[in-house]
Amino acid sequence: MDPSSSAALVDLVRRAQRGDEAAQRELIVAYQHRVAGFVFAMTNRSDVVEDLCQQIFIKMIRALDRLQAPAQFESWLFRLARNTCIDQLRRQRLRRIFLPFADEHENIPEPPGAVDSEELDALRHALAQLRPQDRALLALVQEGRSHAEISEILGTSVAAVKARLHRAREQLREHYQP
Amino acid sequence: MKTNPEENAWFRLRAHAASRLGGAFPDRVLRLAHGCPPRAWQRLGCVAADSLRPGFAERVIAAARERLELPSYGSQLALSALTAAACLAAVILFHHHELAAADARNLAEWRRIVAAAQDLDAGAR
Repeated sequence: MDPSSSAALVDLVRRAQRGDEAAQRELIVAYQHRVAGFVFAMTNRSDVVEDLCQQIFIKMIRALDRLQAPAQFESWLFRLARNTCIDQLRRQRLRRIFLPFADEHENIPEPPGAVDSEELDALRHALAQLRPQDRALLALVQEGRSHAEISEILGTSVAAVKARLHRAREQLREHYQP
Repeated sequence: MKTNPEENAWFRLRAHAASRLGGAFPDRVLRLAHGCPPRAWQRLGCVAADSLRPGFAERVIAAARERLELPSYGSQLALSALTAAACLAAVILFHHHELAAADARNLAEWRRIVAAAQDLDAGAR
């Protein structure tokens, strides 16, 4: 399926809403790589990508029948992904308060070869300096979401999105050092 | 060729200023001007996509199906409430039954005492 074809996407989402497993599978296959990229940008850890993606897509399947406008599926899915990642980061922060794990126990470096590009390393380092909300903003822009869609996903105004995006880009530029 | 002191001073100023910029100055300017290149974002997406093991969609569908088969929180809550209500009803019923039995026992005892008292009265007369 070509997700850019909105009529085909709406049809696919409707079939998935009726419980058609083939359609649900097609949706997962169509979006798994994009959602994985979003999750990686948000968490900065490739070892949690699959677990979080699984959580996101299970939530998607369970909540799909509550989606009123199938044309808004992509925005809805990325809102789900953003909220799941922010919940995960919040849980991680809480765990750090209650469990005596030092940072080095949680932030295990990627195995050699997993990250093989200087530019990618620099991007990950720069993203790690940003707040999760700003990371989400930049990752949503990379996903091709418009300002209006992002404002809907974040529950804020378009003007606020533009201002925050400007600040986030400036910060990313400051910290990006390949 | 002789240079005048003013030109010499300008030359030194330029040299000093240039030495402050550092060797990687052009790269730094270009990086700050252009920001993070799109290929870094693409690479990030590729690394993330590679971290999903083959058969990801099938695993998600199977996990979602398993979770659907599990009782929901709502039904578990309803079952707990029903069990608690049944236990409470059983306790109340048992208590009521015990109370009625104790009343009957007490009444019988009183009747026996009254009868004994009446017998004593009749004997005294």
